[in-house]
Parts: sequence; structure tokens; C-alpha cells
Amino acid sequence: MERFAKYLLTGLICAVAFGQFVQVLTRYVFEIPVMGLEESILYPTMWLYILGAVNASREDTHIRANVLEIFLDTERQHRILSVVGEVASLIIGFWLMYWAWDFTAYAWRVWRESPTLYIPTFYADVALIVGMALMMLYTILHLVRHVRFLARGDEQ
Amino acid sequence: MIEIALLAIAVLVVTLTLGVPLPWCFGAALMVMYYVGDVTMKGMVLWGFQQLGNPVLLAIPLFVLAGTIMSASGIAEALLRFVNSFVGHVRGGLGVVAAVSCAVIGAISGSGLTGVAAIGPLLIPEMEKRGYPRAYATALIANSSILGLLIPPSVTMIIYGWVTDTSILACFLATLGPGLLIMCNFSVINLWMSRRFNLVLDDKPGVVEFGSRLTKNGAYAFPALLMPIMILGGIYGGIMTPTESAALAVIYAIPVGFLIYRGLTKNSFLSAGKDAATSVGTIMLMILFSMILGQMFVFEGIPQALVSSIFGITENKIVLLILINILLFLVGMVVNDVTAIILIAPLLLPLMEALGVSPIQFAAIMGVNTAMGGVTPPYASILYLGARIGNVKVTKVIPPAMILILFGYVPVVFLTSLWPDLSLYLPRLFGY
Repeated sequence: MERFAKYLLTGLICAVAFGQFVQVLTRYVFEIPVMGLEESILYPTMWLYILGAVNASREDTHIRANVLEIFLDTERQHRILSVVGEVASLIIGFWLMYWAWDFTAYAWRVWRESPTLYIPTFYADVALIVGMALMMLYTILHLVRHVRFLARGDEQ
Repeated sequence: MIEIALLAIAVLVVTLTLGVPLPWCFGAALMVMYYVGDVTMKGMVLWGFQQLGNPVLLAIPLFVLAGTIMSASGIAEALLRFVNSFVGHVRGGLGVVAAVSCAVIGAISGSGLTGVAAIGPLLIPEMEKRGYPRAYATALIANSSILGLLIPPSVTMIIYGWVTDTSILACFLATLGPGLLIMCNFSVINLWMSRRFNLVLDDKPGVVEFGSRLTKNGAYAFPALLMPIMILGGIYGGIMTPTESAALAVIYAIPVGFLIYRGLTKNSFLSAGKDAATSVGTIMLMILFSMILGQMFVFEGIPQALVSSIFGITENKIVLLILINILLFLVGMVVNDVTAIILIAPLLLPLMEALGVSPIQFAAIMGVNTAMGGVTPPYASILYLGARIGNVKVTKVIPPAMILILFGYVPVVFLTSLWPDLSLYLPRLFGY
């Protein structure tokens, strides 16, 4: 999975950088603007943002303040706090997912197209619901890991 | 409605305290606005997602990637050697090298973490070997690393310019003056503190040796030094937009890393790409939900309500600026720079304009305060990263870090607020 994430995310971010670079070349060096280049960069860009966030959920590296952790001493206390944090994340995340679904359904219904190349914007819009679903899945996995740790601790 | 906004912010802080990831903390605040404040969510996700597609924001992943690639490519060593040629033989010179190198790296990366990540692993052991206490070296490098947020290009200024509709180029220039002043302050404090350390110094070179060392190290560092010149020259020469110059920086960094400094391998390149994408993903998801929350506040007229409530307390400009600095300091202690800017900038901008503070000066005020937040606990991501890289307990890093913050940073924070020319001189020079 790690390898897949490396190739996918590096591929996406390089595609975005390369697209922009081509734009610089064509606009300033060759002075031939390429039609639709800017709007086609939008698709890898949106997927890059969302899949980057999914990877942060997978690695559990989303930004957290962790203020309470400073006052906790034992591993068990840390895990209990993590369980509370993950449960809160799930409640909020599923609520946000509902609105992401609302947005996706709207995007499907309206089926907008990009102005020059007529590429359906749905292919970028759908990234949000896919990303939210994956992030919730990883949150559940982290929650299960913490609960299992606590259960094992109780057995001992 | 202001009470509901305060409740939403309180819920945001509570969820933050519980260790909930930041994007979901904003989600919790949105839930309060929706269920308690009856503010609709309909259409908000569509609006937020469309905003994310703005080409201005595209500069963020590209600058982050350029910084990550350069950091992995061994550029830091070249820069350190070059800066060290000037001051390596001076007592405390290595500390100055740390501050200046972090500023130069800041001119490449636009992030506050790159300096400590690139310089820390090389310079902390070297400084310790020369007699600096490890905790002090770590604190100095972590504090200097925040210069990455003040020396252009800067991710936080891109976001500020975007959310407040202010020229990003002017915002970049606004934080440059305070950033350079902080770099000088850290260098002077370091020279003063170094008197107490038992340091091993380089031999003072003769003129010929100095010249040849400078030429050799300068030539080695040239490709690295060319990068900020290219980025800033492209932007301020009016040739390219920040996004385009960021793309050029990435395309330039890849062969430099692979072929010239040779620190970049296939694996480290893939890791750099993944790390940059992950950082960008966390920032963008946070931007999405915090922007929706900010928009709800604007719809409900919270900024205007805030202005009248604050003017009800006092209309004294200096008192208000000091209070705002204290507020930003407290916000910086609990949330990260990007969040603070997205949430606070649109709320306070009407107040600042009513006080006669220009949006460009406010960019500098927000910039210095939120950057300082990166090293002030409990939320002090840059300081914690420094402690991890330096392999020192955070509690040991905090005392020297506090000295640097108190004498190096806080005076500049107040100067930025009370002396407009510090942040406005350069933008004016460029016609903003």
C-alpha cells in the first residue's frame, strides 16, 4: 500500500507541476497558448488534494493539537483519549460525508462540463465523496486498533 | 448570532483539545452553526470545493514539493558550507549560519518546516560538536525555521492574499522586512548567548584562503542559490505568476537534486512526492472546511458584529492593536498558521480597516503572529519537529526557545503592528 501511495501521489503532484510548466513554456517561451490546458490541470489537482488527505488518514498524520496528551502519563490513558478522538471524528466525518454526498448527487444531476474541452467536471467533483469514504474507513481502522489495544490491556 | 459563532469556536477548541484532526474540528463547528444557528449547509460544499480549484492555490502544492525535493536533495549542505565561509571562524558564527541558512531555505520552500527538516539533521550535531548545548542548537534552528513563513514565497501569505482578496505579491513583500529583522535579532541573540558556551572555532583564514574557500563553496551552492533568484525574480520581474514560478521551481529542483547534488534517488524522490502530496492534502481539506465556516460567519454578519462589539470596549488604535496581537498569539498557541489565517483574517480585516490598518500591513501582522504560533506550545509543530530531529526532550528545548521568542520575536511582532513602514516600505517600492 505504501508503494502504491508513493507512486500514485508522486505521479499526481508531478502531473500538476508538469502541466503548469508546459503552460509557462507555451505561454512565455513559444507564445502559443494551449487551449484547455488550465482546465485539464484541475482534475489531477482535485484528486491530488483529496487523495493526499486520504493518505494522511492512512498514516494518521492529519494535523492535531493534542493538548490533553501533555497531561496524560500512561499508554492506556493515551489510547482512551485516542478512542474519544476517533469516535468524535467518525460522528463529524459521517455528517460531512452526508453533505459531500449531497454535493456529488447535485454534480451528477447537473453534469457540468469544462468550458473548452467539455470534460465533465463530475470526474473531479466525485473525488470528495470517494475521499471522505476512504478517510472514514481509515478512521474506523484506527479506532479498532485502539479498542483492541485497550481490550488486550484489560485481559492482561 | 455572535453567541452562536463563539459557541462554534468553543466547540472547535474542545474537539482540538481532544486530539480530533483539524479538518473534523471545523466540521464540529459547522455542525454547531447548522443545528444551533440554523445556517444552511446546502450549496456550501459545492462553493467550497469550487474555491479549492482556484489556480492561485495551486502554488501551494508546487512550493511544498519544490521545498521537499530540495530538502531531500542535499541542498542544505551546500548552503551551510557557503554561509559558513563568511562567519565560520567567528565566535557564535555557526548559530548565525543556522539563522541565515533557514532564511535562504525559506526563499525556496514557503513552509516553516523545511528549514528545520533540512538544516536540523546536519547542523544540530555539528553545533553540539563545536560546544553549543544540544537543546539550544535545536531551539535556535526550530525558531529560525519559521523564517520560511516570512521570507517569500510563503504558503500562509498565498492563503491570506486569497481569503482577503489582497495582492499575494504585496503580502510576500510585507513579511520580508519583519522576517529579515527577526533573522538579525536571532543572530545577535546567538552571538550574545555564545559568550557563555565553551566553543571550538575554525581558524581565522587568511585573505587568499578566505577567497578561495568562498569561491569554491559559492560555486557549489550556486545552483541552490539560483532557485530563490529564479522564483522571486520571475514573480517580481512581472514575468510569471506565483503558481507558474512554483512549477518552474519544481522542474528546476528535480535535475538539480538528481544530477548536481545527487542527494535525490528514485526512492527519496518518491518519498518526497508522497510527503508533499500528503502535506498538501491535510492543508487543503482543512482549507475546505474552515473556508465554509468562515463563509458562514460572513453570511451571518459576524465580522461587522465583532467590529461594533470591540469598538464598544475601546476605540484606541494602539490598545486595540496590542489586544489583537495578544489574541493572535493565543490563537497561534492552539491552532496552526493556515487555520488561524483562514478563520481570523476575514473576521478581523473589517476591524483593521476601520482602524486605518491596510490589508497589506495586516498580512504582515497575521504572518508574524501565526508564524510565532509554530514555536509556542501547546500547538508548536515546528518546535516539536525540531525536538524530534535534535533528539532532545521538548521540555529542554522550551527555555532557550522562550529566550529567542521573547527577545527576538516579540519585539518584531509589536513593531510590525505599531510601525507600518516596516511592512509597507517594500510593497510601496514595488508599487502596491
